[in-house]
Amino acid sequence: MIASFRAETLKSRKRWANWILFGILMLTLLLFGYILSYVILKHPPRNFESPVPASVLIREVFPENLLANVLSPTSTIGAAIMIILGGLSTASEFGWLTVQTILIQKPGRAAVLLGKLANLAVITLLVSVVALGSAALTSYLLVTIDGSSSSWPPVSVLVKGFGALWLELAVWTAFGMFLGIAFRSTAAAIGGGLTYLFVLEALVGQLLRETAGIKEILRFLPGVNASAVNASFRLTFRSPNAGTQLVDATRGWITLMVYLVLFTILAIVIFQRRDVGGS
Amino acid sequence: MAQALAVETHGLTKRYSTGVLAVNQLDLRVRTGEVYGFLGPNGAGKTTTLRLLSGLLHPTSGTAIVAGAAPGSPASLSRMGAMVETPAFYPYLSGRDNLRVVARYASVPSSRIEPVLKLVDLTDRARHKFKTYSTGMKQRLGVAAALLKGPDLLILDEPTSGLDPQGTMEMRALIKELKQGGRTVLLSSHLLNEVELTCDRVGVIAKGKLVAEGTVDELRARSGGRTLRIRATPLEQAQRLLESLLPEPVRVIDGSLILNVDPAQAASINRRLVSEGIDVSELRVDEQSLEDVFLQLTETPTLPSPASGGGEQR
Repeated sequence: MIASFRAETLKSRKRWANWILFGILMLTLLLFGYILSYVILKHPPRNFESPVPASVLIREVFPENLLANVLSPTSTIGAAIMIILGGLSTASEFGWLTVQTILIQKPGRAAVLLGKLANLAVITLLVSVVALGSAALTSYLLVTIDGSSSSWPPVSVLVKGFGALWLELAVWTAFGMFLGIAFRSTAAAIGGGLTYLFVLEALVGQLLRETAGIKEILRFLPGVNASAVNASFRLTFRSPNAGTQLVDATRGWITLMVYLVLFTILAIVIFQRRDVGGS
Repeated sequence: MAQALAVETHGLTKRYSTGVLAVNQLDLRVRTGEVYGFLGPNGAGKTTTLRLLSGLLHPTSGTAIVAGAAPGSPASLSRMGAMVETPAFYPYLSGRDNLRVVARYASVPSSRIEPVLKLVDLTDRARHKFKTYSTGMKQRLGVAAALLKGPDLLILDEPTSGLDPQGTMEMRALIKELKQGGRTVLLSSHLLNEVELTCDRVGVIAKGKLVAEGTVDELRARSGGRTLRIRATPLEQAQRLLESLLPEPVRVIDGSLILNVDPAQAASINRRLVSEGIDVSELRVDEQSLEDVFLQLTETPTLPSPASGGGEQR
């Protein structure tokens, strides 16, 4: 597994697609989540209407709301990027046929996949560290520029928030990785993953949220549970966008962990049993 | 004393989920230190067999021992190098980085990379991305990757596929060099000339079954060794007449009738054709080429048992 992990790190480091995905994630988080939000709320347009004044909303980008602001895009753009990352990491191997090059080296199939998993776990860890760190730095710079005062969340909450960020990114990465192995096609894995995320979870889930029967099913979906975890890191003011959650945060944490294990086991089982090549 | 076997299969069978029976009860024995040619037409089951031996496919039934262990197990993989079907590498990495990746997977020190690059003559292009490589360079990188582990057994699937004549000659020379290093080489091919020039022994596969095994000379001898070639007009009438007279099938190749008969019968066959009003413009005895043997073997799945010779019949 260590041999496979070392090979995976080399491949990931040299792959431009990974750096582009990382860049998009950081750009979205910092530019849209912090800088543009600050600029717009600092100088709101004349027709700006909100039940909460802009002078209060602007505190969203200040250190006191670090976790809520970082976790907010995790269920959408963060999830999408991690699905693509996970999908690329496995499906490309089938597309390029490199899966057979890997499998005829020394490690067995399980070791190969566990190495890949370990590498993705480290990548999501690094993404979480950089995302949270750069968001904290940006937040500090903005509050300094603004001349306002703000306090950081307690360390225990920061640690918990970091854990939530890592867990959510890991679940979506594992989902993408599983789809890549199941479909053996980059287009199908990414297309399937994004369709699930934006059509099934986001669109259909929102439209049928209050429908009896459907509501029960929605409680088991990863996006719904991730939202519940995110909602537990509240803003310091009552956000006009805050909605009720279908499950509580504890159930959200447990469900996400179950999904992480489930996607991992399914990926390993399929990878172990499936023929490589041939018709 | 029985010679040690690098590859041994018993009743190896692979039926795909589509129902296609690609390999059927294959009993293969590759001796340690030999270059074994796995010969067969396209679709005969060569690549499927090599995938089974590499652990890429799971057999439907039967067993195999490759380099002393089960196919696909770390024990087997650590002693074998393989290039199955096409050389597959990461297009965004250079040739050298691709070998670094392979070396890491195989737990091989990176100091092995430069010697194998030199061996396949890729040092100068090693820093270029794999996606810019020509077919021949890709093929050579595939061989380099297979050699990284310094394997006892080398499995090469169509190693000269896509190579120009110069590249083909170099690849043959490389295979001979590897054999001299004491390695066992199992190579598949549909190119008879290649097999004839490089292999100690040959196994012929057709429709998933091993139809013959032995040295090239043994296979020639088994298939009759010599044939009678007749050019006659009208051809169809001559073919019908000969088929009614002879127990052996009469084949038509390049406008000539090919007969597996004792050349001593040439005169009587000629007389009979002429007496039926058929013009005979050519009648000669041919030494069988490997091509003839191959065509005969792959067109007729079961052959009569050889009267003599070391090769065994399946």
